[in-house]
Amino acid sequence: MTALLSVEGISAGYGAITVLRDLTLHVGRNESIGLFGPNGHGKTTLLRTISGLLRASAGRIHFDGADISRQRPATIVNAGLVHSPQANTMFGDMAIAETLELAAFAPRARAGAKQRMEQVLTLFPRLAERRKQLARTLSGGERQMLSIGCALMCDPRLLMLDEPTLGLSPRLKEELAEAVGAIARSGVPLIVVEQDVEFLLALTQRLYMIEHGAVSREIDRNDGLDHGQVMQLYFGQGGEA
Amino acid sequence: MNSIVATLVSGILLGSLYALMASGLSVVWTTLGVFNFAHGALMMIGAYAAWTVSEGMGLGLLPGILAGVATAALCGIVIEYLLIRPFYGTRHMLLVTVMTTLAALIILEKGAQLIWGAKLKQLPRLVTGDVSIFGATISWHEAIIILLAPIVLLLLWRFTAMTNRGRSLRAVGQNQDAAALIGIDVPYAFAIAFGLAAALAGLTGALLGSIRFITPVMGSEPLVKAMIVVIFGGLGSLGATAGAAYVIGLLEAFLILWIGLYWTPFALFLLMIAVLIFRPNGLFGRA
Ligand SMILES: Nc1ncnc2c1ncn2[C@@H]1O[C@H](COP(=O)(O)OP(=O)(O)O)[C@@H](O)[C@H]1O
Ligand SMILES: [Mg+2]
Repeated sequence: MTALLSVEGISAGYGAITVLRDLTLHVGRNESIGLFGPNGHGKTTLLRTISGLLRASAGRIHFDGADISRQRPATIVNAGLVHSPQANTMFGDMAIAETLELAAFAPRARAGAKQRMEQVLTLFPRLAERRKQLARTLSGGERQMLSIGCALMCDPRLLMLDEPTLGLSPRLKEELAEAVGAIARSGVPLIVVEQDVEFLLALTQRLYMIEHGAVSREIDRNDGLDHGQVMQLYFGQGGEA
Repeated sequence: MNSIVATLVSGILLGSLYALMASGLSVVWTTLGVFNFAHGALMMIGAYAAWTVSEGMGLGLLPGILAGVATAALCGIVIEYLLIRPFYGTRHMLLVTVMTTLAALIILEKGAQLIWGAKLKQLPRLVTGDVSIFGATISWHEAIIILLAPIVLLLLWRFTAMTNRGRSLRAVGQNQDAAALIGIDVPYAFAIAFGLAAALAGLTGALLGSIRFITPVMGSEPLVKAMIVVIFGGLGSLGATAGAAYVIGLLEAFLILWIGLYWTPFALFLLMIAVLIFRPNGLFGRA
C-alpha cells in the first residue's frame, strides 16, 4: 500500500537561498509523525512546500497517490492536506465565528461544516466564548486555537501543525497539547512540528529530526529510546543555528 | 427654501455617483492593497460600451447598460492580470501599481479616442420626464440613480459581509498565506475583486452617460472626487466609504450654492488636506 504522503528528494528555498536539500520522508496510512530539530533548519519551509505556498525546485510530493508538487494551495487543501501555520493571526479584522465559517471554504469542507464548527467550539471553549471577537484582539494561545480550528474546518485527511504550543505559558501549552491529543485520538493523522520531543513521542509513531534542510535521523517510537538518549541526540549533534 | 431642497437633492445625486465609484476602489483596496487609478477610465469604458450597444447597434438602453457593466468588468480583469498580478508581492508594489494603473488609464483614454472618436456622445434616459421632490425638480433618470445606488451598495455589502465568496476577498486582503491555507485561490480572488469593482465603475458610467456627455476623459473628475471620498472615509470599510461619499456629495452641492462652482474644488481639496493632516486614517477610519 502506498504512503498517505511521500516527499521524495525535494529541494526548496526563498529566491537564491536554498533551505531544503534533497529531503525525503513519508507518512503511512493511519500514522502520525513528528518533526523536530534546531530552529532555522527548514521545518516550516518543509510544511510550506508541502502545502504549496512554496514550490519545490526539485523532487516530488505525492498525497494519496497523486502528485501535488505543482498544485496550488487551494487544490491541495481541497484534497484534504491541511496546514495550520506557525504563529499565525488568521484575519485580524474578522471575528472568530466568521473566520471559522469561512474556513470551510474548500468544496470538500462544505458538507458537514455546521457539525465541525460545533466540534471545534467544543474542543476550544475559549473560542466559543469569544465568537464575536476580532482575531487581532486575541491572545497568543487563542490565536493558535483559531488557527487550528480553521484547519479542522477544512475537514483534513492529514493535518500539519507547525509548533502549536510555541511561546505559550505552561498552562496554555498544556491546554493546547490536550486539544492536539484529542484531535489525534479522533482519527486525524498528524504531522506535528514541536521542540518538545517527549510531547511528540507521546503523540506520534515516528519522529524525523530535521537538520540543515534534510532528515538527519529517523526515530521509531518502538526503538525504545529514553528521554536522555533523545536529549543527547537533540543537543549532541544538533548545534543551535 | 426651494434652493435648499434642490441643493440637498443634487448633493444626494452626487453622493450616489461617488458612492458607486468609491465602493469599487474600496473593494480593490481591501483585497489587493492597490489603488486603482484606472477606475475612472473603466467608468468611461462602461459608458462608451453602453452607447455602442444602445445607440450604435440600436439595441436599447437596458442591454446597453448590461454591456457597459460587462465590458468594464472584462477590462478590469485584463488590467489586473496584465498590470497588477506580475508585481504582486514584489518590493515597492504599491508604487509600481500606481504607475501601471496610471498606464492603464492612459491606454484606455487614448484607446477610447481611437475607437469612438472625439465627438461628444450621450445616452438616452432610462425613463423620460421629471419628478418633483418637495418642490425640487429632477429627471426620473436621476431619481432612479438616487434609488438604485443604496440598493447596489447594500447588495455589495451583503456580498462581502455575509457570503463566503465575499469574505474570501477580505481574507485575502488581510492574510494571503492564511487565506490560501484554508483553500481560497488567491489569484482568483484578485480577479473577482477587480472585475467586481470595474463592473461597478461600468454601471456608474452607463448611468452617468445619460445626464452628462460621454468623452474619453469623463472618468477623471469622478475619480478625483472618489479619491477625496476615500481619503475622507478611509478605504478599509464599505460603510465608511459609502457614508463619506454622501457627505462629500452634499458638501459639494452646498459649497456650489454658497461659494460658487469656481471655488468649490479648491475648498474640497483644502478639506482633503486638512483631513490628511489631522485624521490620517480618514474621518471615519480607525485612529
Ligand atoms: N521568507 C523567507 N525569506 C528568506 N529566508 C527565509 C524565509 N523564511 C525562512 N527563511 C530562512 O529559511 C531557513 C529555514 O527556516 P524555517 O523553515 O523557518 O526553519 P524552522 O521552521 O526549522 O525553524 C532559515 O535560515 C530562515 O532564515
Ligand atoms: Mg518554524
